[in-house]
Amino acid sequence: MLILRYSARELLRHPIRSGLAILGVAVACAMLLDMLMLGGGLNSSFESLLTTAGYELRVAPAGTLPFDTGATISDLQTVRTGMQRLDEIDGVAPVLGANLLLEGPDRPRVFVLGVDPADQGIYRLEAGEDLRSEARGERGIVIDRELTDRGLAIGDTIMLQAPGSFADARSRRGEFTIVGIADFLYSSVGERSAAVSLGTLAEITDQPDEASLLMVRLAEGADPEDVVARLRSDFPGLEIASVGQLVERAAQRLSYFRQLAVILGTVSLIVTTLLIGTIMAISINDRYGTIAALRAIGISRRSLVAAFALESLLLSLAAATIGLALGLLVAGQLESILSDFPGLPAAIRFFVLDPGRVGLAAAGVIAAGVLAALVPAIRAMNAPIASTLHREEP
Amino acid sequence: MTGLLLVLSAGSFIAPLASVEGVWTQDTHPLPCRVATSILVERSLAADIGLSPGDSVDVGSDPAGPGCRVMIAGVYEPDADPSELARERPRILMHLPEVAAMAGREDEVDRFSIRLRDPAGADDVARDLVALMPGTRVLRADVVAARASTTFEVVRRFHRAIGIITITAGGVFLACIMTLKVQERRSQVAALRLVGVSRKTLLSWLILEAALVSVFGGILGIGIGSLASRLINGFYQRAYQTTLEFSIVTTETVWIGLVLAVSLGLIAGAVGAVRLLQVDALAEVGR
Repeated sequence: MLILRYSARELLRHPIRSGLAILGVAVACAMLLDMLMLGGGLNSSFESLLTTAGYELRVAPAGTLPFDTGATISDLQTVRTGMQRLDEIDGVAPVLGANLLLEGPDRPRVFVLGVDPADQGIYRLEAGEDLRSEARGERGIVIDRELTDRGLAIGDTIMLQAPGSFADARSRRGEFTIVGIADFLYSSVGERSAAVSLGTLAEITDQPDEASLLMVRLAEGADPEDVVARLRSDFPGLEIASVGQLVERAAQRLSYFRQLAVILGTVSLIVTTLLIGTIMAISINDRYGTIAALRAIGISRRSLVAAFALESLLLSLAAATIGLALGLLVAGQLESILSDFPGLPAAIRFFVLDPGRVGLAAAGVIAAGVLAALVPAIRAMNAPIASTLHREEP
Repeated sequence: MTGLLLVLSAGSFIAPLASVEGVWTQDTHPLPCRVATSILVERSLAADIGLSPGDSVDVGSDPAGPGCRVMIAGVYEPDADPSELARERPRILMHLPEVAAMAGREDEVDRFSIRLRDPAGADDVARDLVALMPGTRVLRADVVAARASTTFEVVRRFHRAIGIITITAGGVFLACIMTLKVQERRSQVAALRLVGVSRKTLLSWLILEAALVSVFGGILGIGIGSLASRLINGFYQRAYQTTLEFSIVTTETVWIGLVLAVSLGLIAGAVGAVRLLQVDALAEVGR
């Protein structure tokens, strides 16, 4: 307790020095926290998004990512039936994606998904009713909030038209009645999405028996990697990936952010170490005489080193507390900047708050601070008592 | 630039031409082979799988099916386009009719460009074309460029925000160090005041010292930054196989860095010096 009081008093004796040091380390700690959140946030956010619908595997046309291109899986029924024969597979949900034009003054594009309403993981119904059937002729449509913001509501009738080639553009269209409003899990910011029955969309886009994506739900206990290997051998023309593999690919595409996080996180720790190390070195240099006197009256080296370590710990703790709050605030601002990143699902978060990462940031700053104080403290302990006292005598 | 119009089929995904492994296009349609077909291969792909002009490869729409034998007429270096960085699939260039035949999309294109006689009338022409061709979008070239650079605009704003945080941290660090540096001179300043050196002279001395430290620190920082910039370019140019420059140290950046370092150092040094000169000199030397 005596050591604690001594350490606290020393910090309060130089309010500007301590204040600046705390502020500097707090900013470094904020940066470290943000970089830790950024480094792991994308992966966990992707994984959470991909697993939220309860489908463990994704199947896309060879060489593509889902909806990355206009390519489709042909012979849908054969593929679907073939997959469902496996005991490890509980369900296969086909999705066909197409950009259609909404008839109206500016003919906006709508990304329309053809689904089997009984087995889909593309949207979550928020209001109204779901589609009734996957068959052709189902004229219900579920729309997202981007479309309701344009004044559309449940019960309204809309006309959607397939763009296609000039010659048949007027012939491929369909009239739909809005039956529900949904949250489309994979829509990007500003994208207008809607879902209709798979059969109806296939008819409009002239893509019978085709799908852009298959979402595969596994039976309980099935190992996703084993099933992927088996499906790849059974369906060599398809791109089959587990959620883990997709997360890995997404992480590779956005590896820049991870690398930036590592670099800036490391710089933050170095700044913390340098700042606390410098502050403590100067503070300890100022007190060589006091240290020699305390040692002369019998205070052990260990107690004195502990006092300096404690002083640094108090400094780091104060900085970490401010820094963590600051870091969360800054993370919110940075997230709002990156939320405009094109092509990513709006649900993706770059900065994900994880108590483990908050703890790691605080622990990193505190450990760096305490370690930085140990070097000048140990050096001071080795100074000869008599000559130091003589030199420091007023 | 604004004189160019880009016409897109409204539903099209502007997709890379082909995937490569052997080399196949994405759609699966019957494959009518044509004679005397030649292709251009992207440099990175040619290097990765050891292709060179004069070699023959099979190109097809189905990885399991037969392909058409084509000759590599040349290897090309794609334009250093930032929007192409995240592209994972390598590209080959083929004659349009041959791609259309392979993809089963004869007499179709995903997009085409129009050069106008009078660039000033681009908007009017775009409007007329949309009315003429239902199901298409007609965009001015500058609009296409702006859309393609959205990613980089977001990254630029992110970098700017990170830059502000870094400058704040650096500024506080600098202020802290300068305050300590000045305070370190406590007994020296007290002694000089006792032998009659004026406060003004001491203040000038302390501020000059702060300025020198800041200038040297700033120059050293710019050196480290330039070195880091080279390392970043080297790393990412290799990683993405591009000639794009990812980090550029401009004269403006150098000046901003120097001015910030010197002004922050001077302010911190001056504040510390003024405080130091207010201390009782006798008490400071222990009398």
